[in-house]
Amino acid sequence: MVRFENVGMRYGPGPEVLRDVTFVLEAGSFTFLTGPSGAGKTTLMKLMLLAEPPSRGLITLFGNDLAVTKRARFPELRRRIGVVFQDFRLLDHLSAFDNVALPLRLAGKRAEDYEQDVAELLTWVGLGDRMQSRPPTLSGGEQQRVAIARAVVGRPDLLLADEPTGNVDAEIGQRLIRLFAELNRLGTTVLIATHDRSLIESTRAREMRLVEGRLVELRARA
Amino acid sequence: MSGKKPSGRILPREKGAAPLDVVIGVMAFLAALALGASLIADRAAYSWREGLIGKLTVQIIPPENGDAAAILSQETAAALTVLRSTDGIVHAAPVSQQDEMALVAPWLGADAMVADLPMPQLIDASVAPGARVDVPALAAKLKTAAPDSVLDDHSHWIGRLKSLADAVIWSAYGILALIAIATAAAVSFATRAGLQAHHEIVGLLHQMGAHSGFIARAFERHYTLSTLAASAAGACLAAILFIAAGGLEFAGIEPVPFLPPLSLTPTEILWLSAVPIVSGLIAWVTARLSVLAALREIY
Repeated sequence: MVRFENVGMRYGPGPEVLRDVTFVLEAGSFTFLTGPSGAGKTTLMKLMLLAEPPSRGLITLFGNDLAVTKRARFPELRRRIGVVFQDFRLLDHLSAFDNVALPLRLAGKRAEDYEQDVAELLTWVGLGDRMQSRPPTLSGGEQQRVAIARAVVGRPDLLLADEPTGNVDAEIGQRLIRLFAELNRLGTTVLIATHDRSLIESTRAREMRLVEGRLVELRARA
Repeated sequence: MSGKKPSGRILPREKGAAPLDVVIGVMAFLAALALGASLIADRAAYSWREGLIGKLTVQIIPPENGDAAAILSQETAAALTVLRSTDGIVHAAPVSQQDEMALVAPWLGADAMVADLPMPQLIDASVAPGARVDVPALAAKLKTAAPDSVLDDHSHWIGRLKSLADAVIWSAYGILALIAIATAAAVSFATRAGLQAHHEIVGLLHQMGAHSGFIARAFERHYTLSTLAASAAGACLAAILFIAAGGLEFAGIEPVPFLPPLSLTPTEILWLSAVPIVSGLIAWVTARLSVLAALREIY
């Protein structure tokens, strides 16, 4: 699904923020990405999102070597990825419903084909009564749930989430993890960046740990 | 199910009239005036041409010596005989003194002094439609029969009128071209500014796998609709001005003396609707090209 081989990344003339990172995310795997702030977690996710090209090394995504893949194919690859951004990145002028429906619109689906799915998903994340609310009127936790619903609504092949439970209470957090686990059971490869040890301990997912740009630990959990 | 269909508007709605709307509205107003001017000039040139083509005028200049009235009368009769015997000329008649006075009245007035001026005798002649008259040969024959005659086939005057009308029409086309360029530049500038203003939305859409064409369509729609609305307002204002000019002429008030009527016919007013349509097309193409070029630079 995702393969990194000796990947290095630096921004401009600055120091390398990722160094010789090598790992494989198998299709259908569930992985936590951990590490202290500034370890390079967000940069690693940006590379997987095709937001930045690596400074060196090889990245393979869905079987495509990104070094030789035409840029015209990048939108198609990006649409196979669901993302939960740490800052949510919701569109303030659209309702919660329209925000969640956005990936489906980008995929060219007709409104009548996805209306029910979007409504059911928003209800499932506890926002059934806030569908027409705009993000500025929602609390941080509610915005986060809209962002998660947007990331999973298209049943992506790869789900990347950056601190997806950072703004929600423990009960909602567990509910969201169950949502990710359910998606994973249906075949989605999941990678979650988090500091939340309780979240990690609550599953049997494997853990990748980054420290100062290097992958220092890659272990399956018993 | 309590969901609703998507709003379709990827970009947020602007509040109030944007500066671009004002600029486009003013340019559409000027474009509609230029287009109206070209239509008026074209119509005037046509009516002038139609009025003069097929007409000949003979002037018998009053002699300075001798019995001027008798000579004038004699030469007029001789000229009429020549004209009426010429193939292709279907009508020849002297212009009455009253009509001659009316012709010079706008320049010399109509008081008693003018009546004492030595006025030439004018003869109007009409050529049959499609007939060709050898003007130099006819002038020579007239000179023989009436030595003080001068033949005018109006070709010089028609040529000058045509040049004047062509100059007005081509100037209007030039103004329209400049306005089109300015519109494209304004939309291009606004589109790039819009991309800057909405760069977070554009970045997110891009990240979610939107094709550049999808993002470009959001901007196209936004700028095409606002340009259509603003340019329609500008063209409507110009149409109101032309209709008002028509109203003045209907009331017997000549807005600009000696110039053709400044009003437009209903069909010509409809032509002004081309201004918002073309402006919208320019905005659509410009916004699309600008966004696609900018996205290529950014991503």
